[in-house]
Amino acid sequence: MERNLTHIALFAALIAVLGLVPKIDLASGVPITAQSLGIMLCGTVLGAKRGTLAVLLFLGLTALGLPLLAGGRGGLGVFVSPTAGYLVGFPLAAFVAGLVVEKWRAPVGIAAFGGAFLGGLVVLHACGIAGMAVVLGKTLPEAAGLALPFFAGDLLKAVIAGAITQGLARVRPQALLSRG
Amino acid sequence: MDGIEFSGVQYAVQGKPVLHGITLSLHERRIGIVGRNGSGKTTLLRLMAGLLAPTGGTIRVAGVDPAVDRKAMLRAIGILFQNPDHQIIFPTVEEELAFGLRQLGLRAGEATARVRTCLAAEGRAHWAAAPVTALSQGQKQWLCLMAVLLMEPATLLLDEPFAALDLPTQARLSRRLASLPQRLVTISHDPQAVAGCDRVIWLEAGRVVGDGAAAWVLEEFRAEMARRGDSDADTDLGA
Amino acid sequence: MLTLTSAHETAAHRWPAGPKLAAAALGSALIFPVQALPVIGGALLALAALHLVLGWGFTREAAGRLWMLWPFLLVLTLWHLWTGEIRAGAVIAGRMVFAVALANLVTMTTRLDAMLAAVERVLTPFARFGLNPRVLALAVALVIRFTPVLLDKAGQLRQAWRARSPKRAGVAIVLPLVLTALDDADHVAEALRARGGL
Repeated sequence: MERNLTHIALFAALIAVLGLVPKIDLASGVPITAQSLGIMLCGTVLGAKRGTLAVLLFLGLTALGLPLLAGGRGGLGVFVSPTAGYLVGFPLAAFVAGLVVEKWRAPVGIAAFGGAFLGGLVVLHACGIAGMAVVLGKTLPEAAGLALPFFAGDLLKAVIAGAITQGLARVRPQALLSRG
Repeated sequence: MDGIEFSGVQYAVQGKPVLHGITLSLHERRIGIVGRNGSGKTTLLRLMAGLLAPTGGTIRVAGVDPAVDRKAMLRAIGILFQNPDHQIIFPTVEEELAFGLRQLGLRAGEATARVRTCLAAEGRAHWAAAPVTALSQGQKQWLCLMAVLLMEPATLLLDEPFAALDLPTQARLSRRLASLPQRLVTISHDPQAVAGCDRVIWLEAGRVVGDGAAAWVLEEFRAEMARRGDSDADTDLGA
Repeated sequence: MLTLTSAHETAAHRWPAGPKLAAAALGSALIFPVQALPVIGGALLALAALHLVLGWGFTREAAGRLWMLWPFLLVLTLWHLWTGEIRAGAVIAGRMVFAVALANLVTMTTRLDAMLAAVERVLTPFARFGLNPRVLALAVALVIRFTPVLLDKAGQLRQAWRARSPKRAGVAIVLPLVLTALDDADHVAEALRARGGL
């Protein structure tokens, strides 16, 4: 019981830290913010239920006024801004990523990539695009055009999430609660 | 009945034994446990505190199983972890100190009042709202000690209490600990840290290999450590 | 940890959190279906006036926080210049700025403890469904406690990396960071149990 709570809280903090650290260089030298990587890892490492709760806790604290979103943003304003759909998508993305790792008995790295792809790319952008369409008064395909430039980076993050989850399974198998 | 009794206690992690059939009866006021890294002393301490349950044998603290009756244990045993950062749960000093009191059933107002009184008595009233991240290592150690002492446990378990402290801070802490009325159980790899104890137990590879007055147990311990230090090999992965 | 509450102490800081939150929610909901440009313009003016009454420094800070909307305002401007529906574009942009500024106003004038107290009050009836407000408060405290700890650890990992590499730290630091989070979670769980658990 205590471990459930502390895992959820520490991963909420981890999402924040991955958004706050100076941008990380990918192999190609393209800088990315790692916040959505944190969302994916919540699902693939903690599993669907705990991962979702960690993301909800993170969002709750953001709403209360802590500057935990990438670039030090936060507060209630971000929940009515055009990117609000992405925030709604965060917990769903973690849930889907976690569910895939729990149910799909493929090797951990593959399942984690699959989960991160489905959750962190498909589900997250579907929510984000819908949000932009509503707030900006555009059709879905028009809003999708705005999200397009981020797809390549997020695909790479799904690959990284898969690799990190697999690395974790190797050095600390008992820590991978999603496969517990 | 207020002592700590181990009878035939075993502890294994994933089938790998860490402690083998430990039987001890602890009643002295100042008890030291020495051993090398990995000898099982931290595990022994966690078993005493009820944070782990033994895989064999029984443990009784004041007649109660510490892993089962957690409520009774709060008054019986307090534990100070080696790394204060592993112990501090809350973002501010006041919250950290009040938590244990709330756990004992005090209401928020009472707990806060007790904390304020304690801080004032220690000349640290201005610490109440301070973020714990602003404290030095020694100050964090002090905070952890106060958080445990506020709960007034009969026995205090100390895990390498001096490991990360500079010399003046060590001196202050050891003076403070010496003045406490509680029973203290101190574990350390450093014989100096337990030299003043009424009884010292030497643990080696999960077994008790020395038990008795501090002077002679520590003399043998020092000789053995010096002998081992002279040989170079330290390649055993223990797997 | 730093919060987004404004350091410019205003009269609005002393208003109770609950009504402020309710008013902001109501304001956003009411503005959303509005299509009339004069109404939206009027609402924006009224909101700006409220900021000015609260103070000049406060208003400048609030304006600075709206800066994050610039990419979207740019997109809207280009789009509606191109399609020629300038009036529709102004409605959408005005609505968006109003909703965000109103929400920011609550965030900037409400301290974290007041927010937490308001949330706890709202959640109390849910306690019977297993949502214990005390556990929630503990979770919040843990996040506030450990975000700086993990941030510090990330900094150390970057330095350790820099000490032995000519390049900036890459994603290689994320795995050790995840391990730190997992270890800290275990240690704190133990510290909680040592003092009576949940």
